[in-house]
Amino acid sequence: MSKLTGTGITKTYGTNDVLQDVSLELESGRIYGLIGRNGAGKTTLLSILSAQNPATRGTVTLDGETVWENPQALSHLCFSRELNPTSGNGMTAMKVKEYLEIASVFYPHWDREMAKRLVEEFHLDVKKRMAKLSKGMLSMVTIVVALASCADFTFLDEPVAGLDIVAREKFYRLLVEEFNETGRTFVVSTHIIEEASDIFEEVIIVDQGRIYLKENTQELLERCVHVSGREEDVDAVTAGLEKHQEERLGRSKGVTVMLKPGQRLAAGYDVTVQRLSLQKLFAALCGEEERHE
Amino acid sequence: MNEILTQEKSIYIQIKEMIENDILRDILLEEERVPSTNELAKLYAINPATAAKGVNLLVDEGVLYKKRGIGMFVAAGAKQQIMAKRREHFYDDYVRSLMAEAARLGITKNELIAMIRDN
Repeated sequence: MSKLTGTGITKTYGTNDVLQDVSLELESGRIYGLIGRNGAGKTTLLSILSAQNPATRGTVTLDGETVWENPQALSHLCFSRELNPTSGNGMTAMKVKEYLEIASVFYPHWDREMAKRLVEEFHLDVKKRMAKLSKGMLSMVTIVVALASCADFTFLDEPVAGLDIVAREKFYRLLVEEFNETGRTFVVSTHIIEEASDIFEEVIIVDQGRIYLKENTQELLERCVHVSGREEDVDAVTAGLEKHQEERLGRSKGVTVMLKPGQRLAAGYDVTVQRLSLQKLFAALCGEEERHE
Repeated sequence: MNEILTQEKSIYIQIKEMIENDILRDILLEEERVPSTNELAKLYAINPATAAKGVNLLVDEGVLYKKRGIGMFVAAGAKQQIMAKRREHFYDDYVRSLMAEAARLGITKNELIAMIRDN
């Protein structure tokens, strides 16, 4: 079993600490979801973990070996970054097939057959120039590269941005299929949280440059509840518990509660207790009201 | 199978209940193979570990059993076993909240009994 470990990662641009003292461990054979607000540091974290960007402080190791400029380690990593039509990335004039050809050089385990199959699956015109691709087609190219790289640790930055729902569902199925077959680790960052949450075994929330939490998705959702009802009853039921995003309307109150092991809601009150979706939970934890400046 | 997953309960519990429902409906018969966790993961676009968690609960309860190298099968007597367990939980799953709502609305027990008896 392989481990990709980030220890004390800090990344500073000018005077801005985009990431502050981030430590985490990624294991082989997992699908991780990476969520966070715009500017939280997700892309920076993915690029540092995949050795595409040097950390200002801290290290990233794969089974004990530093990944930075280490060809051995690099052969097991793939960062498929978000391509957008305006960024250029130095590949405006290039055709899709040329871009994929370059990818095949970068990734020693590149699977040509898979790339061909995926291009057909997504109805991509490989003769089209990258600069002429729509946002959705660029996402599809990102996905082809990520999957065909056959890297042990594959990082996808917003792979479904610009894809319609049918294409998104196709992606999730392709990801699960590839995972079923190979047990490769995928780390997927996304803003479209809800539909992806079922495929993430663990979810990592990045907030303002730090890891807010990293937890098994099902266990996290099992320990979070939304309690609502009369204000006094809600306060009584949730006394002493970790609360987020309290909302009041008239005499009623709603609040999101995160239970720690062994904690329960007080019984005997007429309140509504509901499960939260990962999306709603994330909004409650990292919403505007929760910002501590 | 083929139900839509909701956010109401943990996914692995929904997988477990879907398989149980199929056994109760004779969609899955005793000694028949059930879809593998990989097949379930692909069908529902969920993580295989989640599918496995639901399936393993059924194995632990003796509703399913594993034939090495072949897959998971519905155990003999599974249907009866599921029905017995659901009967045990019927009060908690359905009656408790019914009575709480009835209490909220001032419906007496006698009125409830009359509702049940007359329908």
